[in-house]
Amino acid sequence: MNNAAPPVAELLEFIAQDGCTDAQFDQLALRLFAYQYGANAPYRSFCQRRGATVRNVKTWSDIPAVPIDAFKAMELRCEPPRPDERVFMTSGTTRADMRGRHFHPHLDVYDLSMTHNFAARVMRGTPRLPMGILFPDEVAMPNSSLAHYLALAKTAFGTHDSRYFMSPQGIDLDGLWRRLEAAERDGEPYALLGASFSFVHVIDALRKEGRTFRLPPGSRILDTGGYKGQSRELPLDTFYSELSDLLGVPRALCINMYGMTELSTQFYDDGNATVPSVKSGPHWIRSRLVDPATGRTVPAGERGILAHCDLGNFNSVSTILTEDVGQPADGGFLLLGRAEGAQAKGCSLAVEEFIQSTRP
Amino acid sequence: MNVQRIEAGYLPGLASADVQWQTLPFEQDGQRVDVAVPVLTATQMQALALRVKEASTQHLKTMTVSEIINVIDRAIARLLDSNDPYRKQADALLPIVSGYDAQMVRLGLTGFFKTFRAPQLHRFVAEDFANPKVLDGFQPTPKGGAVRAYGPQLLVHSWAGNVPALALWSLVCGLLVKAGNIGKLPSAEPLFAGWFARLLVEVHPPLADCLAVVWWRGAGDEDAAALYAQADTVVAYGGNDALHAIQRRLPVTARFLAHGHKLGFGIISATALDAQKAPALARRAAWDVMRYDQQGCYSPQIFYVQRGGQVLPRDFAGYLAGELTNLQQRFPRRALDLAESAAVAKWRQSIEWQLPAGGADALIGDPDAAWGVSYTDTAAPLAPTALQRSIVVAGIDTLDDVAPLVAAHSRYLQTAGVAATPEELFRLAEQLGAAGVTRVSAIGAMSVPEAGWHHDGRFNLLDLVRMTEIEQSAEAAADPYASYEP
Repeated sequence: MNNAAPPVAELLEFIAQDGCTDAQFDQLALRLFAYQYGANAPYRSFCQRRGATVRNVKTWSDIPAVPIDAFKAMELRCEPPRPDERVFMTSGTTRADMRGRHFHPHLDVYDLSMTHNFAARVMRGTPRLPMGILFPDEVAMPNSSLAHYLALAKTAFGTHDSRYFMSPQGIDLDGLWRRLEAAERDGEPYALLGASFSFVHVIDALRKEGRTFRLPPGSRILDTGGYKGQSRELPLDTFYSELSDLLGVPRALCINMYGMTELSTQFYDDGNATVPSVKSGPHWIRSRLVDPATGRTVPAGERGILAHCDLGNFNSVSTILTEDVGQPADGGFLLLGRAEGAQAKGCSLAVEEFIQSTRP
Repeated sequence: MNVQRIEAGYLPGLASADVQWQTLPFEQDGQRVDVAVPVLTATQMQALALRVKEASTQHLKTMTVSEIINVIDRAIARLLDSNDPYRKQADALLPIVSGYDAQMVRLGLTGFFKTFRAPQLHRFVAEDFANPKVLDGFQPTPKGGAVRAYGPQLLVHSWAGNVPALALWSLVCGLLVKAGNIGKLPSAEPLFAGWFARLLVEVHPPLADCLAVVWWRGAGDEDAAALYAQADTVVAYGGNDALHAIQRRLPVTARFLAHGHKLGFGIISATALDAQKAPALARRAAWDVMRYDQQGCYSPQIFYVQRGGQVLPRDFAGYLAGELTNLQQRFPRRALDLAESAAVAKWRQSIEWQLPAGGADALIGDPDAAWGVSYTDTAAPLAPTALQRSIVVAGIDTLDDVAPLVAAHSRYLQTAGVAATPEELFRLAEQLGAAGVTRVSAIGAMSVPEAGWHHDGRFNLLDLVRMTEIEQSAEAAADPYASYEP
């Protein structure tokens, strides 16, 4: 077995196939681990400190999970930098001056992972839909994985008249209203995709103007990313009932995508008729819930911090430890929000408040 | 499971049935306590505020400070008696509610209560008032004329939780200046303040309507607004965001005394680091880290240790780790919830990633340990750790290095523990005081402030009162009107 080269061909083949057995997943996960252990020096020392080696890592859940903070502290990569690589950066939800970076020498694996999964979970058999995108494009945000994701959705699954409704001044609401009216008139299903906070602005604008739309059957909404302090915070239930009431898309077709800059694969729910909805991913990503202190999987049924083993992450590290609290659910997991830097209950200054206070 | 239900708060003039209650569940080692906290309407809150104001005018403002001290002393004596029902209740329930080790709570409470006995309270008053009699009546002033101090009609307290019984500080201050007191319970420790109110009333029944202990959800709604509107002074503890939220809803004429979250640190001189003294010092340092798992504003987050002594800073970090291991046996750390555990892991991992290979820096203690010591050979700037017994030891060349490292956070400074020679102590105190530190203590005493300390460098009692002066001119002008004047 050649562990000096990334198993890109195998990965592409693996993603393209329909599902996999546990043994097949383990086999490729261990192959990728061996490669990353060899090619990524900081990851190797991280593993060694945990006593994890190629020899004693026997299954995907043995692979040490790297906390996402590490993407900020260092360059986690296997291949040397190249001029045409893509670098996705975190939006700095916690600290503007320190952004996590994820290096992609090419996007073949990322794009196949995205399209294969998107076709199944969002398009659900429809080849193309007219799309409206409520997020800046890749030119405006070349380092945003979400901008790339949405651009790819538009080119791979959007009809020719799909477009962005984003300008430097914010959402082009008049243009959007006109487009939604047209969709209503033509009876053609429409897809609206964007950041959760963009949808909050749309909700607020519709409420203010007292307008509603009834998008034709088959229309869908995809939101992602949470509010990130860019809009007011809406409880999930209110968010989806507002979207559904104002745009006429049933909550079962309001899909939420859970993705991260540090991953190359996304999770989806099957609509948000009830919240929190069950999130699940495709066969090339597996998740477990861990006790953050020890990194060990929590007892079955208990909530824990989500760790993901994403075979799409071929150039960084396959397995990451998030800061998201999850709870096991039938067919996936419930996302219970971020494990906010614990609030000090006493009078000692906690890290989170300190970071807030030192922000410019 | 053994479930106990307890009604918290103290609401004179309101029957249980007239009030809505919300349950806060607490669970520890198979024992469960359901604490019912009162949720008052705005009207009830307003009536309560009026009642407390009126009663304190009648019954509290007419007592002398010495009489008040006597009442508090009798209540404290009961809390110091391990057979007293109130103390038994505190010993039994506060560990369940706070999650802290029962033995740690018991020792902590006793030490804390001792600072509120009569001699300590007299000292407390004398600390702020050269002549404590100004609280009882007009007293002559050196410049001529006379002066008297008046406490607020209504002092509202917003308490922080998790260091058990913390409410006692400001409540006693309020009583000493004869204020009507209404305090808002913290959700993390909603028990002690109500008990103390009831105990005081048992000891001295006329106080029955002079104080009340309430609760509200989050930052409060119209209930909180109704209370704040009546307050002439507000003492609040908490993070800056919470404090700001309170300040925004106060009448502009209300006095706002805020105690925000703080960062503590220790400094150890090379002169304190001989083979004999260093281990004992590490033991005392570990106690400061262990007490209430660093949740106090005075708790240390970093120890600056000077190189050049017999014991190297790195070795001191090792001693400290050893002592924390020992203390974990005696006073185990409270069980962490997921968010706290994630915060500790994040702190550890952020250090781990930065450890240079082959350097002197080290992260001592494995991820499973209920404490963590990070050693760095560089003079690290002051920054918060994840608390829960996570502490940094940083090697420094000279004691003068420290003040510049902490000065950037002057607004967050409070306690500095120091182990050094007398000359070094005073030299350091000058630098640290200028940087913003308000309290210098011995290592080992950081987490047990002495009676009468000036919390956050302010005057606990003096800040609560208003002075009324009779100027010399008024006194002189009065003379001609006396009947005995010719």
